Amino acid sequence: MGKFMEPIALGLLALLFIIPSIAVINLEPITKNLKQFTDVLGVTTSSEIIVNLIGGTHEILSGEKVYKNDDGEYIYEAKLTKRESDFYSKPILRLENRTDEDREVAFLGTTLSPTRSDIGLVINDQAYKLQRPSGESESVTVLLRAQSKYDVYLTVESVVGIQFSEDFEIKITVE
Amino acid sequence: MSILLKKALKLSILPAVLMVAGKFVGVMALIVAYNLQFEVGNEITGVFSTQIFLSDEASTIFVNSLSDLAMLVVLGVPTLYMIVRTTILQSAKNNPRTIAKMVKFNVLKWVTSNTATFLKIFIWSTFVLIASIITVSNSLNGESYAWVGVVAGVLSLLSIWGLVKTFEIETDRVYPNNREHSYF
Repeated sequence: MGKFMEPIALGLLALLFIIPSIAVINLEPITKNLKQFTDVLGVTTSSEIIVNLIGGTHEILSGEKVYKNDDGEYIYEAKLTKRESDFYSKPILRLENRTDEDREVAFLGTTLSPTRSDIGLVINDQAYKLQRPSGESESVTVLLRAQSKYDVYLTVESVVGIQFSEDFEIKITVE
Repeated sequence: MSILLKKALKLSILPAVLMVAGKFVGVMALIVAYNLQFEVGNEITGVFSTQIFLSDEASTIFVNSLSDLAMLVVLGVPTLYMIVRTTILQSAKNNPRTIAKMVKFNVLKWVTSNTATFLKIFIWSTFVLIASIITVSNSLNGESYAWVGVVAGVLSLLSIWGLVKTFEIETDRVYPNNREHSYF
């Protein structure tokens, strides 16, 4: 009986180390634009475009953050780490149009130096190009329907292996 | 089931609980103390999908840093206490000068018995290492202050050093060094 219990006990011991580690990682707070409940009946009367960080981990993206600058623009920042030649994709932002009308949102993504990678966005199954391998950036404008949510995916395609990390930034402007 | 495994299971429960409690209490205490706006949601899929959301980046880094520090203190202080106590007890056994110092500072009673075994120190040190790895990784990702990462790094090095020292003491007990004389 004791011998049969041993593997279970070993598993339990491993879980005693694994579960607290995962629990602690999950307890780490995340930045998010919290809903402002201004109506006493609990109805959101906010008339904003909300940009939330999706977060999580990815092999080539780290240090993701999103914040609003003094000009009222949202800035998404992340570090693109060294990578092998491949196509990478990650959900990075959730856009929410809480207004009652359609709104346009412009994205301008840049790295400090040419990345030799094609960087783009996928929103609602539609692909957009943000930066060419030469480092040339393009502004992307997307229409957000009223009272709707959109997940924004960042895509990075490197034809050759990249051996250095680079800071990447997307400026998000509501027009 | 072996006695070692039973003992390891029993000894792992307290640091495991303290690790989660240190982080959770740290996060909640800071939110309450600084009256921060927060929300608990389950928008992200994962092993545990519940997440704590804060309204701005600065608050998130502040809460994450100090709660990581709380978790490190809760695990690190008892670990270092056990290591120091075991080391002093061993030193007192081999060196009459240490005994004299203990008497001088009136702490002889403190080291007359050793309740911390190598297994206990090993388990606690492992939890300190796990907590340190999480904290250093947060610092490197810009999700907590750099100095908290440095504290975690130093604490993990101290724990590893203490663990090695305790291991030496344990092996000396099994294979005693003939040249050293024990006064007990």
